[in-house]
Amino acid sequence: MKLPTPGAIGSVAYKEFLHIYRDRRILILLLILPPFFTLIFGHAFEADQLTDVPSLLVNRDDTPRTQRFLDIVTKNKTFVWKKQAPERADEADLLGHHVRGALVIPAGWSESLGNGDPKPLIFYLDGSDTNTASELEGSVQQSLADFQMKERDNIVRTLPMEVYDLGAKLPVQIRKEFVSLMEPWSLDNKVLYNPKTRFIDYVVPGIIGLILQLLTVTLMACTIARERESGTLYQLLVTSLQRGEIVLGKILPYLIVSIFLIAMITVVAAWHFQVQFYGIPMLAIICLLFLLCSLGLGLLISTFSRSQTQAIQFSVFFLLPVFVLSGAFAPLEQLPRSIRYVSEVFPLTHFCRAFRRVNMYHAGLQFYAGDLLVLLAGVIVTFVGAAILLRRIEE
Amino acid sequence: MNTRMSEPAIVLKDLCKTFGDVEAVKKVSLTIPRGTIFGFLGANGAGKTTTIRMLCGLTKPSGGNATIEGEDVWKHRHVVRAKFGYVAQRFSLYPDLSVLENMRFFGGACRVPRARMEPQISRLLGLTDLEKKRDVPAGSLSGGMRQLLALACALVHDPPLLFLDEPTSGLDPVHRQQIWNLLYDLSHQQKTVFVTTHYMDEAERCMQVGFLDRGELLANASPRDLKASFRAKLLELEIEPVMPALLQLREVPQVLGVSLRSGNLRLYAPDPEGLLAEWQRKWPFPELRFRGQRWVEPDMEDVFTAYSQRYDGILNKEN
Repeated sequence: MKLPTPGAIGSVAYKEFLHIYRDRRILILLLILPPFFTLIFGHAFEADQLTDVPSLLVNRDDTPRTQRFLDIVTKNKTFVWKKQAPERADEADLLGHHVRGALVIPAGWSESLGNGDPKPLIFYLDGSDTNTASELEGSVQQSLADFQMKERDNIVRTLPMEVYDLGAKLPVQIRKEFVSLMEPWSLDNKVLYNPKTRFIDYVVPGIIGLILQLLTVTLMACTIARERESGTLYQLLVTSLQRGEIVLGKILPYLIVSIFLIAMITVVAAWHFQVQFYGIPMLAIICLLFLLCSLGLGLLISTFSRSQTQAIQFSVFFLLPVFVLSGAFAPLEQLPRSIRYVSEVFPLTHFCRAFRRVNMYHAGLQFYAGDLLVLLAGVIVTFVGAAILLRRIEE
Repeated sequence: MNTRMSEPAIVLKDLCKTFGDVEAVKKVSLTIPRGTIFGFLGANGAGKTTTIRMLCGLTKPSGGNATIEGEDVWKHRHVVRAKFGYVAQRFSLYPDLSVLENMRFFGGACRVPRARMEPQISRLLGLTDLEKKRDVPAGSLSGGMRQLLALACALVHDPPLLFLDEPTSGLDPVHRQQIWNLLYDLSHQQKTVFVTTHYMDEAERCMQVGFLDRGELLANASPRDLKASFRAKLLELEIEPVMPALLQLREVPQVLGVSLRSGNLRLYAPDPEGLLAEWQRKWPFPELRFRGQRWVEPDMEDVFTAYSQRYDGILNKEN
């Protein structure tokens, strides 16, 4: 077998490029989808806190103390409260009231707070979306804590002098300990690696992955399938083109198009969202490896699909689990441990991890060398597999 | 160079192809000299396309071998591919690429040097009358023009050999004539043309005809020799009404077959003189009217019928 010649590769690449250029629908998709997805993902997850969640408030304990709690909880921006008359008893029907939660202050609550046996507030939660439920609960918890501090200050202010006299008799150490116990103990967050805690900084590699898998894999998967469908594959094979030249020629235009897609996504992320990129040469290498992996996967699908329809079906079949399990849009830690092993198979998982290690953690090579190796292995496996399958078509 | 010139263009030796249990091509042996227009005849499914695909190195032969200009079509398929052009049975060019872009692509794919490419393309566009359509997408050409373009693309690297798989099926007579004129020109330039066809008038135009039936090569000779392989002239009868006559004559034991030609019935029988003499003595079909008879020379359609129906009784098969 002779070495592939640039002239022959060029002929195939130019032809393939014309196919993309002539198919206006694909061209429009290529130009519009990447910035569109970046904008959507960037803006959709901009607010990291819930606001204005409609909720029900039922007060069955009309006292001044309860009123002070209501003053605090109604200022909580997480909720928009709908007040309900205390005598109605249907507060658990969240759907019927068009709310996500219902807070009930039971009768005798403020009295129970005063006599050493505090009753709990009752909070009905829409658990269908677990994230929302836990965030609402945390927010009510916060208001309750604020209320408790205010009440404490009130009590301290109105204590009779005898208590101070009594306190003065206690040893200094115990008094200090007591004061410290009366204060809420706090957390001083020092956020590392994503100081602005913005989702867009986290999700950029996910968007690149999504676009590349969605467009590059499916388009590439269609190329050989299309030649097969139209009978031109045999016409190609009877020319003196070698398999290597056909494959390289077909990959080249999609490689260029994909690089252009990545550039578009990064430009939108940098300009519109002020995402800063760190370690650009290494990011480029990671992107290139992932790109070749995607192209190889497309090629592999292409070699065992008999028609374009089949190629698209296979692509979707492969890509769906990837999006859910790859950690592109949500941390892998949300998945059960056994499923995480499956995630390690997908190139997208390693791409996102390596990309974030470089871009957000500014990490050294030892923290993502493994991911690079997996991506490299993916490139080799898909290309060798495609070459073997293509040989089978030829025979 | 001289020794190579005298070498035949294509040699098949006991070439076989089996798909599972099906023997698509059975031990076909064949020699085609340079400059020949070789017509490959056979019904659909006879194994013509499989044979062409083996010769093009697209399918591995199951047995035997074939050479093109002395090179094995499978083992040296990458060398052999530079020596032929291939026009497939169905349209297989890129419909979204223009005439010129298709030709340039195949030129590049066949490694035509840059300097030779443009003159060669304009020469072929001239030959095929496609100059005015050079910027039209191939997909919007008419059937005839598509076929001419396919031919032009197959010739872009100026190969000494051309394979055409039913190049004229479905074309109008004008384009058929145009394509055949091109093939004559090629043959005139000492290029070898290997063409499969269904049309008997096209078989008539070939210099050598191979007849393939159920994977077996039944005959291989010039059209003249094939027609000469009939033992005798054929008897043509004028009988009324003609359709019942066709059915009744087919039932006569001495008759192998009957075909209808321009309202007359052509009889395939080992001893037509005997039959005629007998019928002239006593006409056995009271409801049919015998109006006359004549003796005709067999044409290619008769050859096709006799070989495919295996009317061995009327053929001399020792050629």
